[in-house]
Amino acid sequence: MTESTATDVGADMTDDDVITDGPTDLAAPDAPDAPPPSEAAAMAARLAEAGRAKRISDRSRKVVAYVILSLFVVIAIGPAFYLISPAFRDSVSLFTYPPEWIPSEPTLENYRFLFSSTSYVRWAINTLIFAGSTTLLTLVTNSMAGYAFARLRFPGRNLLFFVILATLMVPVAAVLAPTYLTVNTIGDWPVIGDWIDIDTYLGLILPSAVSPLGVFMMRQFIETLPDGLYEAARLDGAGEWRIFTKIVLPLIKPALVVLGIFVFMLTWASYLWPLVAATDNEFRVLTVGIASLKGQFVTDWGILAAASLLTIVPVTIIFLFFQKWFVQASMAGALKQ
Amino acid sequence: MAEVILRQLTKHFGSVEAVQDVTLRIPDGEFLVLLGPSGCGKSTILRLIAGLEDATGGEILIDGELINFQDPTKRNVAMVFQNYALYPHMTVYKNVAFPLETARMGKAEVAEAVQRAAEMLEIEALLKRLPEQLSGGQRQRVALARAIVRQPLVFLMDEPLSNLDAQLRLQTRFELMGLHERLGITTIYVTHDQVEAMTMGQRIAVMRHGRIQQMGDPTEVYDVPANTFVATFLGAPPMNLVEGSLVRDNGQVSFRFEGYELAVDPATAGIAPDVLADATGEAQLGVRPEHLTLASPDAEGLPGVVRFLEPVGSDLFVSVNVAGRPVQVRMPPETRVSTGANVRLAFDPARSHLFGADAQNLRA
Amino acid sequence: MTTVDVAPQTASEDWAAPILSDAEYRWRARRYRFRTVRRAAGFLSPYLIIWGVFLAVPAVWGVFLSFNQGGLIRGDPRVFVGFDNWSRTLSDSELRTAVRNTSIYVVIAIGVVFTLAIFLASLLNHYRKGSNFFKVALYFPLLAPPILGALMWFFMVNFDFGILNLLKRGIFGGDGIRFLGDNPHALLTIVAVEVWRGLGFWVLFYLAGLQSVPEELQAAAKVDGAGKWRRFRRVTVPTLRPLLLFALVIAVIFNFQLFDSVQVLTDGGPRLGTATVVWFIHKRLFKFQDTGLAYASSVGMLIVVLILTGLSFWLLGKRRQREA
Ligand SMILES: Nc1ncnc2c1ncn2[C@@H]1O[C@H](COP(=O)(O)OP(=O)(O)OP(=O)(O)O)[C@@H](O)[C@H]1O
Ligand SMILES: [Mg+2]
Repeated sequence: MTESTATDVGADMTDDDVITDGPTDLAAPDAPDAPPPSEAAAMAARLAEAGRAKRISDRSRKVVAYVILSLFVVIAIGPAFYLISPAFRDSVSLFTYPPEWIPSEPTLENYRFLFSSTSYVRWAINTLIFAGSTTLLTLVTNSMAGYAFARLRFPGRNLLFFVILATLMVPVAAVLAPTYLTVNTIGDWPVIGDWIDIDTYLGLILPSAVSPLGVFMMRQFIETLPDGLYEAARLDGAGEWRIFTKIVLPLIKPALVVLGIFVFMLTWASYLWPLVAATDNEFRVLTVGIASLKGQFVTDWGILAAASLLTIVPVTIIFLFFQKWFVQASMAGALKQ
Repeated sequence: MAEVILRQLTKHFGSVEAVQDVTLRIPDGEFLVLLGPSGCGKSTILRLIAGLEDATGGEILIDGELINFQDPTKRNVAMVFQNYALYPHMTVYKNVAFPLETARMGKAEVAEAVQRAAEMLEIEALLKRLPEQLSGGQRQRVALARAIVRQPLVFLMDEPLSNLDAQLRLQTRFELMGLHERLGITTIYVTHDQVEAMTMGQRIAVMRHGRIQQMGDPTEVYDVPANTFVATFLGAPPMNLVEGSLVRDNGQVSFRFEGYELAVDPATAGIAPDVLADATGEAQLGVRPEHLTLASPDAEGLPGVVRFLEPVGSDLFVSVNVAGRPVQVRMPPETRVSTGANVRLAFDPARSHLFGADAQNLRA
Repeated sequence: MTTVDVAPQTASEDWAAPILSDAEYRWRARRYRFRTVRRAAGFLSPYLIIWGVFLAVPAVWGVFLSFNQGGLIRGDPRVFVGFDNWSRTLSDSELRTAVRNTSIYVVIAIGVVFTLAIFLASLLNHYRKGSNFFKVALYFPLLAPPILGALMWFFMVNFDFGILNLLKRGIFGGDGIRFLGDNPHALLTIVAVEVWRGLGFWVLFYLAGLQSVPEELQAAAKVDGAGKWRRFRRVTVPTLRPLLLFALVIAVIFNFQLFDSVQVLTDGGPRLGTATVVWFIHKRLFKFQDTGLAYASSVGMLIVVLILTGLSFWLLGKRRQREA
């Protein structure tokens, strides 16, 4: 068996040799003077043994690697699971020692309290309005601006783009006071002040829709569309708006989805601006609302856990369905297209 | 009636003079071919007419109306691009219907027009497909259908056949000509393929370095090339050119090169005597391969040695060395001659051309 | 038969004579070209208005404000104070503590998260089986808003029932650790929370970088007999280096803004042990109303971020160049 295999291989090698010019092919033994069968068998045994040793160390390394990875997975998702038990029990029972992992008297009391005595539902609706509108607004304005930068020629185009791009990473905190003042000032104006002010939806939304990241992304993406499409459409009589809506938007749908997810995730998670711009409970969003559940001095742990858990679960489910898009979206945040 | 007029049309890209002072008139319904080597400005002329580029100078008129300062969407010209530029996210039907829907035509009318165009180009069966599900030839047809569906004033085609294989190209060529005959739309067709130009064009405009070198019907341009560029650009193998000089001796003008002297008779050469008289100095003699014949060494003519033979089936191309220069001769395929043979070359002076120092044909 | 229609010769015919005068032509051409400006304005204005009013104007306004005190709320009128705020930025001890804490935080957090991320990314790059599951799981902490992530850890590090203290007491006995109540534990806990949250992102980031290391290069090094560690240093690190610098810059920008978890977990305490720059700005603006100092430090932060942004673009451009 071994012999026949060896000769087979030898035969193969000679064939190969003719084609590949021996020396360059590192894997090929010197085929013309192949070792005699017995020697070949001994060598095969030696090789097999060495291979086995290597395989063992390979395997143990692999085990270690997967153990480490699993450990980090536990760390990554563990804290969320640690909320489950407190969410379904009376806060007082948390403090028993030794700990009681599974509540002896599971209760939905925390949730009842959350829905009846806090504005959780209001916060959730506000968050949807806030993040949804910001996303929509960003998608519309950014794709339009991206189109202009990618496709329309006008004087000062590069300078304007550069100036806008320079503000790519300006933190909320760095312009917190003047933005607050801007919104406040507009709030004093007639008519428009009814819509844009501190403690209005638009006052919350508009300053959250300023990031040029999407403009940059959209420009890059639209530039990759072939010029021919655009020119053909113009000759077909389509004006810029029709080209934008009928040709460009359908073709950049994937980029829009990625940007949309990214902006939505960023917005609904944001804290600092909503903290100062929506102080009124009527406009408060989830992040600010839940943080306010953690009292300055006393905390109702059960309610805090219940609220946090309730907030993460739907996102997690959505995430599990669209994980590929999410990952792409987070990478987009690092300018990595 | 859609007559196209270009007046001193000029387009510069920075320092590149892509189109330089082009003036021409294309009567209604004509099929004009723009022919020239790569980079000579053919596409740029089409794009200027379409409005995809703004002219540096000069005027463009369609039907007597100045359209330089009209948006491309308003010019009512259709263009077929080399890569077809179909909208990848629309079905064939949607592609063809797009210009009509843009023009806010009613649904039923659109359907009818699309149907008609589809029938004309035999793409009815493809209407529900996406462009990516089509072959190159089918895409070509869809692009044509999209161009004709709204009955444009002018048709612009930029090398529409260059992405097709040889057989399909031939077939589509005939179809395009048939289409033109039926619709009678003024067409400007760009190509750098001289066979396409000769067979399709009612007139040909030969371009080089952004300038029109010569314009006329195909036989004219072939038979009386305006200058050495046109002479060598058209015809395969190209016209043989021999550098020499025109000298005048006792009122008799002759072409002298490498110790040979050929008397030039203005009447047979088709050159006005006064033109000929003024043209002494550097000159080139041009004869097409098919107007040369091989004769035995003891016959009249220029002596030469056969270097190569190229039998191509219908013809035999013979490369002959005359005074150190290769000269191409086209002979019937049954001609018996071998390399190294001493031969004489004879030609008909009436079918030869003399080009002056400025490379212009003295005949013109 | 031999009439050749060469353009210049026919230029004398009447159809060939231009109809517009030079001046008229130039004027019309200019007006025609201007149409693209109108269109661009149409497409740009929605974004430009929002960007201008709510980012550009505030940024400039902020610079002006930094020479003033007050004016943020009714009843606290704005007063021009010249360079007073700026000189106080250098002497204010709370701000100095905040800057120091933030810097310590940035250095430790980035050091830890980058080391772990590169290590885990190399593992995932090598052991591809199931790597998708690990990627998704590691990404999980990014789903929750920073506030919620911090709150989860609020449970984990609780003195009485937090698992970390339960483990500590179970294994080592003795009292629990006051993770958020002592220094420097509090800042380190914040570091841990933020590392936990950002790890998944950086693992994916470096994994993408590693997977762009050409296979042939790895294979060639293998054939040359280079060991794993050498291969890592000789092949992987050099290819990651430009990426690393870029990542470093944006990580500094992101992490410098640390606020959410501090605000919810410690509110800067204990004894300013976790006071950060943004926490300081927020507090001075909306709690203690020493707005002038907050105005000036915001502008300082703005300038630093703009410089770092420029640096990151420069690095990105260099990387693109190298790739091309
Ligand atoms: N957008 C542009 N910017 C700069 N130069 C250009 C541009 N478009 C064309 N050119 C230049 O103008 C000249 C004419 O180009 P054009 O595309 O008209 O040539 P063409 O005759 O169509 O060639 P081909 O047969 O290769 O298509 C070329 O030198 C080209 O490099
Ligand atoms: Mg071209």
